[in-house]
Amino acid sequence: MPNTSNAIPLRQFGRHDVKISAIGFGGHHLGDAPDESTAVRLVRQAVDGGITFFDNCWEYHRGKAEAWMGAGLNGMRDRVFLMTKVCTHGRDKALALRMLDESLHRLRTDHLDLWQIHGVCFENDPDLFIRKNGAAEALEQAKREGKVRFVGFTGHKDPSIHLKMLATGFPFDSVQMPLNAFDANFHSFEQQVLPELNRRGIAALGMKPICGHGAPVQKGVLTGEEALRYAMSLPVTTTITGIDKPEALQQALKVAQGFEPLQPSAMQALRDRCRQYAVDGRFELYKLSLQFDNPEARLAHGFPLDMQQVEVREMLKMTDNSGHPFPPTK
Amino acid sequence: MLGAAGLAAQGQSGAEIPKRPLGRTGLEVSALGIGGYHLGSANSDTEATQIVNEALDAGVNFFDNAWEYHSGLSEERLGRALKGKRDRAVVMTKVCTHGRDKNVAMRQLEESLTRLQTDHLDVWQIHEVIYENDPELIFAPNGVAEALLEAKRQGKVRFLGFTGHKDPSIHLKMLSHSFPFDTVQMPLNCLDATFRSFETNVLPEVNRRGMAALGMKSLGGSGELVREGAIVVTMGLRYAMSLPVAVTISGIDSLDVLHQNLEVARGFQPLSAAEMKSIRDACRLDASDGHLELFKTTKKYDGDLGREMHGFPSSAELPV
Repeated sequence: MPNTSNAIPLRQFGRHDVKISAIGFGGHHLGDAPDESTAVRLVRQAVDGGITFFDNCWEYHRGKAEAWMGAGLNGMRDRVFLMTKVCTHGRDKALALRMLDESLHRLRTDHLDLWQIHGVCFENDPDLFIRKNGAAEALEQAKREGKVRFVGFTGHKDPSIHLKMLATGFPFDSVQMPLNAFDANFHSFEQQVLPELNRRGIAALGMKPICGHGAPVQKGVLTGEEALRYAMSLPVTTTITGIDKPEALQQALKVAQGFEPLQPSAMQALRDRCRQYAVDGRFELYKLSLQFDNPEARLAHGFPLDMQQVEVREMLKMTDNSGHPFPPTK
Repeated sequence: MLGAAGLAAQGQSGAEIPKRPLGRTGLEVSALGIGGYHLGSANSDTEATQIVNEALDAGVNFFDNAWEYHSGLSEERLGRALKGKRDRAVVMTKVCTHGRDKNVAMRQLEESLTRLQTDHLDVWQIHEVIYENDPELIFAPNGVAEALLEAKRQGKVRFLGFTGHKDPSIHLKMLSHSFPFDTVQMPLNCLDATFRSFETNVLPEVNRRGMAALGMKSLGGSGELVREGAIVVTMGLRYAMSLPVAVTISGIDSLDVLHQNLEVARGFQPLSAAEMKSIRDACRLDASDGHLELFKTTKKYDGDLGREMHGFPSSAELPV
């Protein structure tokens, strides 16, 4: 039936009787907004426009992204489905629970709708997650205590690592992954992970619809709208897109309000157009480099830091003349 | 941390560096080879010359290089050092088309020969086969594979190969083309053995085909394995040299490093299977996320020219 309303479609969250908007508000980009009042305005306009799914993460902009989203949602908390992520990166349960309390405080709420393990990107992450006293136990405890309703994980590196997480047997409610027309032809989450999630009744959350920072759009391979339509037409619960300015919000709302999935032939045409750029991974640097791996993940695993990365610069700034060792939060 | 004590006999000072057959080429090469990149990193031309000459005198005869190392300086240094001694060395360099055509390759060959002050190479390899579409581009009509064959016909190179440090599956894709490669270079070290492993996935296949396996990155590329305490230098080198390879190419940028590695190579006796296994097991935890094999898991070891040809950000923009 054609979508005659101009509302953003709501879709079922996995096996649960909960519905969320087909487009989600990405938390990292919110921290890129010029100031807090702009960020607050973006969040409020998004809610008014029909976006109910809000993404965030303990380590985005060292807490600023959560704090700004918390300010934006002040008084509107019950109108949204709020997710944030925990950044243990292999470290233990106690750290995870401390991060949870910090996230709740910054987001100005007493519970999360969804709490996910952030950045499952390295081959040993699944083992470290499920080990005794690992983050898996924190997810269970937080759920028991009523601080979180649902739990999941996210990562952008390799489908095989996602499959290894699923193989731990942990009862995830959601799984987040990069989904776009380039991924379809290269180390593909769409091919290898998405069908498995749908088979298991786990909510699939798409991210990086324009490859993170929009490089293929800047290079003219496809438009932002085409990229977003492709991702939203896949069998996912929501597609998380980064929103850092009014133009980005307007584009997201324009595509999402009254959204109708693309036909299979249009999907194939987009995959074909992107194929020649997909085959060496040039637009999916999150799969082949550390560019999208946050400092918490790199430090926990012993990978080198990128001194230009926004979180690293913020960490350095926080230690300036403070006498505190780097990094300050561990 | 793995101690060296009790695991293997030390190399014997004064003893010869073992020679091994370079696949089916009929050449014999020393078990230790001198890496070309680090020759360009040495403090001075003089020290580079000394490294090459002392290595030759100690019985090292395999010299690695690449057209793109240090914008030609590595080849120039090796050429100068080998002046008058060319016939004592097995000289290998690499062509850096990164997907471009045969003509680019033939021009680079002439430049390499000029810099190396020789009229022929013993081995010419395709450099840095690390992007998943590289095999396709290499074997496309008018691609670099044709240049390899033409250079061989012209007598400018004797034997052919390729190299890469990223993923065993890309090496296997190269081999699936049934091109008559004589040599295949790959990272081989005690961490590789349990992580995206060339040792497990590629090395047996190369030996089965009678090609010469050339090992590299025995210590992680820049000594990461040693710096991070995963292993001691000599044990890392011994592990790599004990594998079924023709030569282990080692980056040597100073006489001190040369002396240390010669000490391991003289009278070298491969470790036993049990010793190899105990090293692999001791390294397993350090290997399990690839943080010491950055050439596999990050962009750190991917050259700028290859990045440019594949539309990737430069090393200044994206260091890792």
